[in-house]
Amino acid sequence: MNHFKLTWKNIVRRKSRFFFTLSAIAVGIASLVTLLSLGTGLETEIRKQANVLGAHLVVTPRGWCAYEQISVLTGETLPEAIPNEDMEKIAGIKGLTAIPYLVQRTALENQPVPLIGILPAKMKQFKNWKIGLGRYLLDEANVVIGFGIAKQFKMKLGDAISVRGQDFSISGILEEVGNRDDLAIYMDLSIAQKIYGVGDNVSFISVQVDDINQIDKYILEIQNVANVAVVSDKQLLKSVLAIVGTVGSALQMVAAVAILAAFFGIVNTMMTAIYERRREIGILQAVGAKKRTIFCLFLYESAIYGLLGGIVGVVVGFIFSYFAAPYIGQNEFTAFLGSEQSVQIFSVGITMKALLFSILVSALAGVYPARQACKLSPVEAISYE
Amino acid sequence: MNNVIIRTENLSKVYDTGFRTVALQDVDLQIPTGSLSCIMGPSGHGKSTLLHLIGGLDRPTSGKVFLEDVELTSVSANRLAEIRSRKMGFVFQFFNLLPVLTALENVQVAMMLAGISKKEQEDRATELLNLVGLEDKLQSKPNQLSGGQRQRVAIARALANDPDILLMDEPSGNLDSRSEGELLEHIRKVNEQGKTIVIVTHSETVAAMAQKTFFIRDGALAVD
Repeated sequence: MNHFKLTWKNIVRRKSRFFFTLSAIAVGIASLVTLLSLGTGLETEIRKQANVLGAHLVVTPRGWCAYEQISVLTGETLPEAIPNEDMEKIAGIKGLTAIPYLVQRTALENQPVPLIGILPAKMKQFKNWKIGLGRYLLDEANVVIGFGIAKQFKMKLGDAISVRGQDFSISGILEEVGNRDDLAIYMDLSIAQKIYGVGDNVSFISVQVDDINQIDKYILEIQNVANVAVVSDKQLLKSVLAIVGTVGSALQMVAAVAILAAFFGIVNTMMTAIYERRREIGILQAVGAKKRTIFCLFLYESAIYGLLGGIVGVVVGFIFSYFAAPYIGQNEFTAFLGSEQSVQIFSVGITMKALLFSILVSALAGVYPARQACKLSPVEAISYE
Repeated sequence: MNNVIIRTENLSKVYDTGFRTVALQDVDLQIPTGSLSCIMGPSGHGKSTLLHLIGGLDRPTSGKVFLEDVELTSVSANRLAEIRSRKMGFVFQFFNLLPVLTALENVQVAMMLAGISKKEQEDRATELLNLVGLEDKLQSKPNQLSGGQRQRVAIARALANDPDILLMDEPSGNLDSRSEGELLEHIRKVNEQGKTIVIVTHSETVAAMAQKTFFIRDGALAVD
């Protein structure tokens, strides 16, 4: 006989109560794990997309809001406000490469698809794209599509794509790159500007510098030659992560409420158990249990609820996040991430955090009841009928 | 005073729950080492209160209890728990076994609380249950045992840590006459092994076995 065996026998003596209390903590932890898992996946994916951009600096029109900055990463339609004149001035600065983007949308089979106007040769070199099928030909009659678009819409070389009433033929399909570059149609910049009627404006310019140590100098130079805002990739990432973090924190508050409910569930279970077992507490004291021993026995009991509820919650949480991810992936904001990529199927970090948190919260919930238990006098407890 | 194991001095217990009830008043008694003593008297006159105070389960309002040279009334709750664990064994009228544990485990619990190893717990608990004739009931839960068998488990548990004193509160109060006879036989054997036994009882049969009987009436003591 040892303390844990005694504790376990007491826990499982009322099986339905054990089940429901365990369920409460498991639901709380499962919601926390789901949100942490999705959130971590989202953050990882955003970092990955920021790398895909391949830019040290992003030049945007002045006064863009954070959502528009995020859209640089997500591929949403953006206002086109940087004129070609500014673009040329920026491109003229020594020691940097400027790549303009015109980000628009078209539809394939009634589904929105990003259409990006680019300078074909410059972009190909910049991104190091390789052609999977066909030729890399972008002109008045031809476009190139990403691997994902071809797969999703079952498109082949020579298929026609209609953009604002004008037909284009697919001249080439890019090799799979495993990021959102797979999910767009690429058109020659000047043609796209003409079709969308945006004059000679572009949405944003990504800039790669030769000497990363002089990044501040480049920012100043760009702002001197053009009336634009310049944000570094790190700042951009920081502001996107801050927004994602805020959303994540709000969601974690929901999980916190569930865990708080479980906390009170455990308090209630333990108080009921103590009330029912007053006599047994007295017996234990009579046969030599110290107050500290009684306190520990009840604390172990609530901590075991935390451990088991935590294990069930972690498993359920990861399973749920796996199945929930495709639905979350349909959201406009997160669609670009791709469903499979945005989930951490299993994370040791999240598992350890969730288990520790579960045990801690449950043990904390057991403190007050355990104190009440060890305050009982042996005679009072034994005399209880 | 070497032949006295328990001694009380002016022991009083007053309950004040709205109105004052004197449960015990100025009780002086001495229990000889190795004796079998009885405490008798009408119900509600303070017998159990006296036993609880002697066993350190309760604190007196005034007066002192000595176990050999240790004044129980002045030691800390933790020290008192240690003394209960190592020096005393309790047997109650309603058996007071833990319902989720088997007979063997109920005996083991007392040893677990005294910090005895699992192996030793098991060996000694089995030996004690054999001693009280329950060798075939080791894995039975209390609800699978008769009243007499439960009380024998309680005696085995009380003896688990080889205490000097056994304190029994109406041990045969819930037993039929046959079970009472068997129980008394076990008590006699234990006493013959040199244990001091104090029994609170209404039973003349139990009292007949005692070497010393104390009568309590209205919280005060009269020696037979």
